[in-house]
Amino acid sequence: MSFPVWEVPGLGSGWMIGLVAILHVFISHFAIGGGAFLALTEQLAFKKNDDRLYDYLKKHSKFFMLITTVLGAVSGVGIWWTIGLANPSGAQLLIQNFSLFWAVEYLFFAAELVTFLAYYYTFDKIPRATHLKLGWIYFGVSFLTLFAINGILTSMLTNGAWPQTMNVWEAYFNAAFVPALMIRLFIMFALAGIYALITANQLPESQQDVKTYLLKYSAKWMLPALIAGPLMVVWYLFTLPPATQQVILAGISSMGEGNFSILARTIFLCITFATSLIGLVFVGPYLNPKGFNGAFAAMIFVAAFGFMFTEEWSREMMRKPYVMYNYMYSNGLVKKEIDTVNRVGFFNTNTWAKAQASTLASSDALGRGELVFRYQCMSCHTPTGNGYRSMERLLGERDENAIKNLITLMRDNHVMLEEKEKDAEGKEVIVRKAKTPYNGFMPPVVGTQAELDALAVYLQSISKKGMAAAAEKAATPAQLTAQAPHTPATAG
Amino acid sequence: MAEPITLPNKYLQLAYDWLDARFPLTPLIQFSAKKMVPLHPHTLWYYMGGICMVFVGVQLITGILLMVHYVPSFEGAYQSVMAINTKIPFGWLIRSMHSWGANLFILVLLFHMFSTYFMKAYRAPREFTWLTGLGLLAVAMVFGFTGYLLPLDEMAFFASKVGVDVAGSAPVVGELVANFVRGGTEIGQGTLNRFFTIHVIALPAALLGLLGLHLMLIQMHGISEPEYFLNKPKRKYEKFFPDFVMKDLLVWIVVFLILMLIVCMAPWHLGPVADPSAAAPIGIRPEWYFLSQFQVLKIMPSHFLFIEGEHLGMAIIGAAASTMVLVPFVDTGKNATISKIATVWGVVFLCALIVLTVWGQLS
Repeated sequence: MSFPVWEVPGLGSGWMIGLVAILHVFISHFAIGGGAFLALTEQLAFKKNDDRLYDYLKKHSKFFMLITTVLGAVSGVGIWWTIGLANPSGAQLLIQNFSLFWAVEYLFFAAELVTFLAYYYTFDKIPRATHLKLGWIYFGVSFLTLFAINGILTSMLTNGAWPQTMNVWEAYFNAAFVPALMIRLFIMFALAGIYALITANQLPESQQDVKTYLLKYSAKWMLPALIAGPLMVVWYLFTLPPATQQVILAGISSMGEGNFSILARTIFLCITFATSLIGLVFVGPYLNPKGFNGAFAAMIFVAAFGFMFTEEWSREMMRKPYVMYNYMYSNGLVKKEIDTVNRVGFFNTNTWAKAQASTLASSDALGRGELVFRYQCMSCHTPTGNGYRSMERLLGERDENAIKNLITLMRDNHVMLEEKEKDAEGKEVIVRKAKTPYNGFMPPVVGTQAELDALAVYLQSISKKGMAAAAEKAATPAQLTAQAPHTPATAG
Repeated sequence: MAEPITLPNKYLQLAYDWLDARFPLTPLIQFSAKKMVPLHPHTLWYYMGGICMVFVGVQLITGILLMVHYVPSFEGAYQSVMAINTKIPFGWLIRSMHSWGANLFILVLLFHMFSTYFMKAYRAPREFTWLTGLGLLAVAMVFGFTGYLLPLDEMAFFASKVGVDVAGSAPVVGELVANFVRGGTEIGQGTLNRFFTIHVIALPAALLGLLGLHLMLIQMHGISEPEYFLNKPKRKYEKFFPDFVMKDLLVWIVVFLILMLIVCMAPWHLGPVADPSAAAPIGIRPEWYFLSQFQVLKIMPSHFLFIEGEHLGMAIIGAAASTMVLVPFVDTGKNATISKIATVWGVVFLCALIVLTVWGQLS
């Protein structure tokens, strides 16, 4: 937590990471699946000695190069930029813990770029058999970038005993490694077909037969991947920590109320996107390639982006309230340091907050409370208005006492209670239950009682009731002044 | 003897042949293949009818599923909807699909109506197709009105009360109609019985009957072609089956996806339970498709000459609606000036509808 806070008004810094990362994932997955598409399609063109397919591949690979090496590279750097600003503690943890794996990934990424540039610029300049080999090499190294990063990404949620052992290999080759890799591979193959729909649709009417062939061919890339992908998702869900599975199930049963159900609803939406894509691809380019046009290709592209968006968003949300499961919370608080921070004080354990707090008077509860809010809450909440998870909106009609009670509840948000219950056979068993309903959704609030009281003062000031009271207080002298000339006259 | 149909996939072909041997699909398909869809810049609007059909399907299926758990009693209705929302697996989904689906259905019906209007597709011999379409819009709006009360939350109760009271203020028969609709002088069990019966029996029957007639008339007269298209020396068409149908299917999937997107991101809300003895909450207003009419009534003066303002408002609404009914008999295509007036009137009508709806929402 010892970093400054990046404030993004209205949207929140988390969404900035989300938007950049999802765009990057949509492109980077194409970079790998599209590599397989190029290699396999070139294999087909080579086998058939079909110059028309070669011509198409040249055009497609130009589109591929622009999308993956320009947009892909820019958005990839954008991710580091945004996570460095929005969640520096999390970025620091990932870099320090997985230095070796990042280095390997970077090595393969450099090889990927070099191989593709060689592939693109040697069309018709080297023997076709050699060029085909370049295509396969490109796919190989791009797949290895995925392999390298997959362990890091999955370890953020399914890191097993890593928080206790700190064994990086245990975190890297975790329970979700294989299903997540399979899911991403299938998504990549599907995306390769979806991007190919766009380029195949650009072929002129004079090449209608090639266009029709390629549209159906693209559909064959998508359909198996779209059908097998969800099966891998089921496998993946079984590898998740039980608490995460509970969060999903709780959301399913309470969707109508809307409480914490956004994760389950988004997963459901993701499934809907996937099944709709199957329908769109089957009825469109597979069954009716001749009647398929650019508008429908665009619809499939948008639906695929919707799928990717909901899939990535759900995956990120499943990890909440952690950035590294069971170790570091999304606001940078390290779980094992909670007791220390509560004892010593938040301002005494956070370098930047301490420096800023030193400029405030100890009696300035509002200012100190705002500081606590900025460092502990703003990674997920915006303060006022209709911003993302705005506290003004979420506090609703709570008054000062209700806000204090909420903070007291939030302080114990990590506490698990052990209760005796009878199982189905009537035997007494010990069941671990969360002390608060927010456990599993939000990090605990930490600090000394004075710091938490200051937070309550600040939250009260931005709540509806607090703001209404402040407005009333501010209006009173003005009203009195306005009424003053009338008072004597009325009295007289 | 009908020519055999060939499909691109051998398994689909096997399934088709099996079905065709038992149910004569081929003659139907070949009848559909003779139907041609004109291709012009406004072909997009031909998809609206199909989209309406998707929503009819969604409403019927989700409506039946909701009826399994809904309790049509003044004491139990709210609790049963609450249970649908929170206890019954995916009940929230079905209810939200039904509620959002109803709103989207009316929205697409309006698109369909105005696109038909501006393409002058109401002209002979399609006057009855137009009138059945208007009938379907009216049925959909009554569906919306009767369905809105059923959850019996605060907003539903008071908005329905206001709606029925407005009907009650109509001259001569107003009170009689309002009492008949309410089943008494107050909204109560009698009202719920009536609304529920109308919503789940009378209206579905009317909808299916009108829809059948509407579709039959479309089959009989074919797809209407705009005048400028008919005057073109070279005209392009595509076969209704399979070409247009395959594209229609894609649009249907996208529409369904949009519905699910809205449903998952904004599940339909259930407000606090209605308390008939309490004062009406501030900001009571009808659903958006009644807002324009509501706004007309709101902006009327209390009296205009010797007429009550509310009665004048009702007369204006009735007159405006009547123009839509009469337009096919006035704008027959024989007089260019009348045709232009009809187009201008359509623009004025549409603009008024939008402005009054937005005004009603903001005021």
